[in-house]
Amino acid sequence: MTATTPSTATPFVRKDNASQRRLADAVATGLLWTAALGIVLLLAVFIGYLLYLGAHVISWHFLTAPPSEISAGGGIGPEIFNSFYILVLTLIFTVPVATAAGIYLQEYARPGLFNSTVQFCAESLATIPSIVMGLFGLIVFVQVLHWHFTALGGALALTLLNLPALMRVTQEGLASVPQALREGSMALGATKWQTIRRVVLPGSIAPLTTGIILIAGRIIGETAVLIYTAGVSVSPGRSAFNWNPFHPAETLSVHLWYTHSEGLVPDAVDIGNGSALVLLLIVLVFNISARILGRGLSRHFTGK
Amino acid sequence: MLSTEPVTTPVRATKLEVKDLNVFYGEFQAIKDASMDVPENRVTALIGPSGCGKSTFIRALNRMHDLSPGVTVKGHVRLDGQDIYGKDVDPVTIRHRIGMVFQRPNPFPKTIYENVVYGPKIHGLSDRRKLAEVCERGLRRAALWDEVKDRLNESALDLSGGQQQRLCIARVLAVEPEVILMDEPASALDPIATSKIEDLIGELKRDYTVVIVTHSMQQAARISDFTSFFLLGDLIEIGTTSEVFTKPKDKRTEDYITGRYG
Repeated sequence: MTATTPSTATPFVRKDNASQRRLADAVATGLLWTAALGIVLLLAVFIGYLLYLGAHVISWHFLTAPPSEISAGGGIGPEIFNSFYILVLTLIFTVPVATAAGIYLQEYARPGLFNSTVQFCAESLATIPSIVMGLFGLIVFVQVLHWHFTALGGALALTLLNLPALMRVTQEGLASVPQALREGSMALGATKWQTIRRVVLPGSIAPLTTGIILIAGRIIGETAVLIYTAGVSVSPGRSAFNWNPFHPAETLSVHLWYTHSEGLVPDAVDIGNGSALVLLLIVLVFNISARILGRGLSRHFTGK
Repeated sequence: MLSTEPVTTPVRATKLEVKDLNVFYGEFQAIKDASMDVPENRVTALIGPSGCGKSTFIRALNRMHDLSPGVTVKGHVRLDGQDIYGKDVDPVTIRHRIGMVFQRPNPFPKTIYENVVYGPKIHGLSDRRKLAEVCERGLRRAALWDEVKDRLNESALDLSGGQQQRLCIARVLAVEPEVILMDEPASALDPIATSKIEDLIGELKRDYTVVIVTHSMQQAARISDFTSFFLLGDLIEIGTTSEVFTKPKDKRTEDYITGRYG
């Protein structure tokens, strides 16, 4: 080295633009942090506002009493029940089919025409707007099958709507299990099904559970598809818990829409705000429990 | 330094007989007409520069390529005379008899105990006492027992890389295979963990036939009885390790051994 280039003593430190790079780093960190904070603030403001509007409406009476058509003071008891009832029905239909299809596509199907056809159909199904699925349900379940508005019809329409998403969730959950684990199992003389059953499924139980609960949260809030299939009234008997799947079953989200847009009761705004708050809290509980359960299951199944 | 135990009988029973093996990734031919005999209760090393096909070759020996779409295997691999690519052969049975240890340790995300008894369990052993015995025997033979005996119910993922790899070996030993294939089992490990694995391989050949892929010629020289040299998908040469390293027959082997290749 000659004495004419004293500044290149350590070639990895480029003093000329170090401050510039530090600035860019700080700006990027700041921007990303602000975006993240923005999301948190948005949610906080949203929940705060709904609490402000709806908290005073909520009472034991409001949560359990049947709704009222004309006079003030109606409750949302049957709606809460119907929301969960339809959710459970939908999950009973959706989870087995979606999981099986997801396992098949991810673990068994070889790339080819059949596989890509199924994928294409699932993606197309996923892009159908829920109102269109609602009208489809109206034609098939309400009119052609003569069921009229029923919890079952609503659940089946919701199944069609959420099947692709849950299949996707299954596929992604399975894909998150490293190929090396499958090979490790097969190299011990395990069959494909033993490998899936004992290594792949336990290894993906956390993302699968999380995915199912998040989709459950979405199903709870689904409205348009149910207006035309499960209807906007609760069962004629007006008892809060009607297990008959062939009765009309207005859910909480449908009730929220109905009282706000069509309702005749003088306290429609209060009922709407109260319903919205309850709905939001239910969805929040779903999302939080998805996280807790996901972590717990993953710990249980990985021995960690 | 060559293998500590000298090869007393040069001709031994052939455990695996590979005949005209060809492996294709789609159109690309990764292995061309390879034939070799793998002697019983000996360590056979596969060496060669990166991309020469040695990993592809070893994965053909227990039908691991079946799991990857787009890979075609042609030719014969005979285990005790029976072609594992024969028409009525169940690959699952073959992999029960020919176990494999991979380049990166791949313990299941389960407890240490569950990892070792995984194989015996899927093959139908359910007696708790017997499973515990199998677990201890496997871990002892993999020289891991003393390090983990008090934490069998902890996650295997909490072990060090070297411990994880010995756990994977214990897991294979627990299903009592006849042949153990090892695909660069020490390449992701530090020197101390590597030497533990190498000592272990020396022990294993008393009961098992071992085939090991290694990128380290020193390792091949230290642990193997036979060495085969691969180059660009061709099996160039196979012989006793001392022959291949001191008197290679092929010019290309000599060039590689003396460091003139990759």
